Amino acid sequence: MAYVIPVIFILVFGFSVFRKVKIYDEFTAGIGEAVKFTFSLLPCLAAVFMLCELFEASGLAAAFTKFLSPVFGALGIPSELTKLILIKPFSGSGSLAYLNQVIAENGADSYITRCACVCFGSSETVFYISAVYFAGTKVKKLAVPIIIILASTLFATVIACLLCRIM
Amino acid sequence: MNVIFTVIFFLSLTVIAFTAPDKLLSSLLGGAENAAKMALTLFCIYAVWLGLSRLAEKSGLSQAAAKGLRPLSRKLFKTENPKALENIAMNLSCNLLGIGGAATPYAVKAVKELDKDGNEYAQKLLFVINATSIQIIPTTVIALRASAGSAAAFDIFLPSLICTVISTSVAVLLYFAVNKLWRT
Repeated sequence: MAYVIPVIFILVFGFSVFRKVKIYDEFTAGIGEAVKFTFSLLPCLAAVFMLCELFEASGLAAAFTKFLSPVFGALGIPSELTKLILIKPFSGSGSLAYLNQVIAENGADSYITRCACVCFGSSETVFYISAVYFAGTKVKKLAVPIIIILASTLFATVIACLLCRIM
Repeated sequence: MNVIFTVIFFLSLTVIAFTAPDKLLSSLLGGAENAAKMALTLFCIYAVWLGLSRLAEKSGLSQAAAKGLRPLSRKLFKTENPKALENIAMNLSCNLLGIGGAATPYAVKAVKELDKDGNEYAQKLLFVINATSIQIIPTTVIALRASAGSAAAFDIFLPSLICTVISTSVAVLLYFAVNKLWRT
C-alpha cells in the first residue's frame, strides 16, 4: 500500500510533462490556493477549538463521559471507549492522544485496543469537517446532517464492538 | 451551528465560573493556540495536495476521472455543474484510496461550486459521505498498533472496512429517507 502515493505523484507529474504543463508555475499556483484556503479556515478553527478546550476544562466533558458510560455499556461498548467516542467528533489530535493512551494501558492486541482502533478508523471529526466545508457558504442548517452522521457513527461503533469479539 | 455553539459555550462558561474560574482564559488561549498549530499542519497537507491537484487539473487528469464517475455522481448529487462534478469525483477517489488529506480540498471546492447553484442537497450529501469516513485502509491506526508491538496489526482491517461501509451507507440511506419525508 505504500506504493499508492508515489504512483499517484509519478502519474500526475508524468502526465503533466506529456501535456506540456508549466509544472513549476502551476504547482506554485496550487500552493497559493492552499495559503488562501488555510487563512479562510482560521476563524472557524479558532472558535471551534476554543469551545473544545473550554468544554474540557470546565469538567463538563468528564461529567458527560460519566453519564454516558452506562448508556454505551448497555449497547455493548466498553466503558474505556466512551471518552474516545465523545472526543472524536470534536478533535482529531485529542482523540489520537487518547487512543495512544488506550493502547499503552491495554496492550496492542487486547479486545479494548482492537475495538478502539476500529472505532477510531471508522469515524471522523464531524464538527471540524462541518466548519471547514461550510465556511463562507450560504448553508446554515446543519443539524439534520450532523445528527444523521453521529447516529450512523454510533451504530457502526456498536457493530465494531461486536465484530471485534468474533473476528 | 450558531445554536450549538452558543449552548455549549454558555454552559461551559457557567460551570467553569464556579469550578475553576482561573482556568477560563488559559483554556481559551490554549484553544486558539491549538487552532494555529492545526492551521499550520493543515497548510502543509494542503500545500502538497493542492499543488498536485492543480497539475492534475491542468493536465486534464481530473477531467478524465470525473468522466468515469460522472453517471453515478450526477444521479446521486443531482447537479449538472461540470466543475462541481469534477471536484466530487476527485474527492471520492481520494477517499477510496485512503488519502483523506487530499480529499478535503476537493470537497471544499465542490461545496463552493454547489453553493453558486444553491444546491444545498448536494452540499450536505457530500458532507455526510465525507464525515462518515469512507476509508479503505486505516493507515494511521495500523501504524500505531504496529509500533506498540502488536502481533497482527492488520487484523483490524476487515472489521474496519465493514464498519466504514456500514456507517457511510446507513448515513446516506438516512439522508435520502429524511429528504424524501421532508419533500412529501
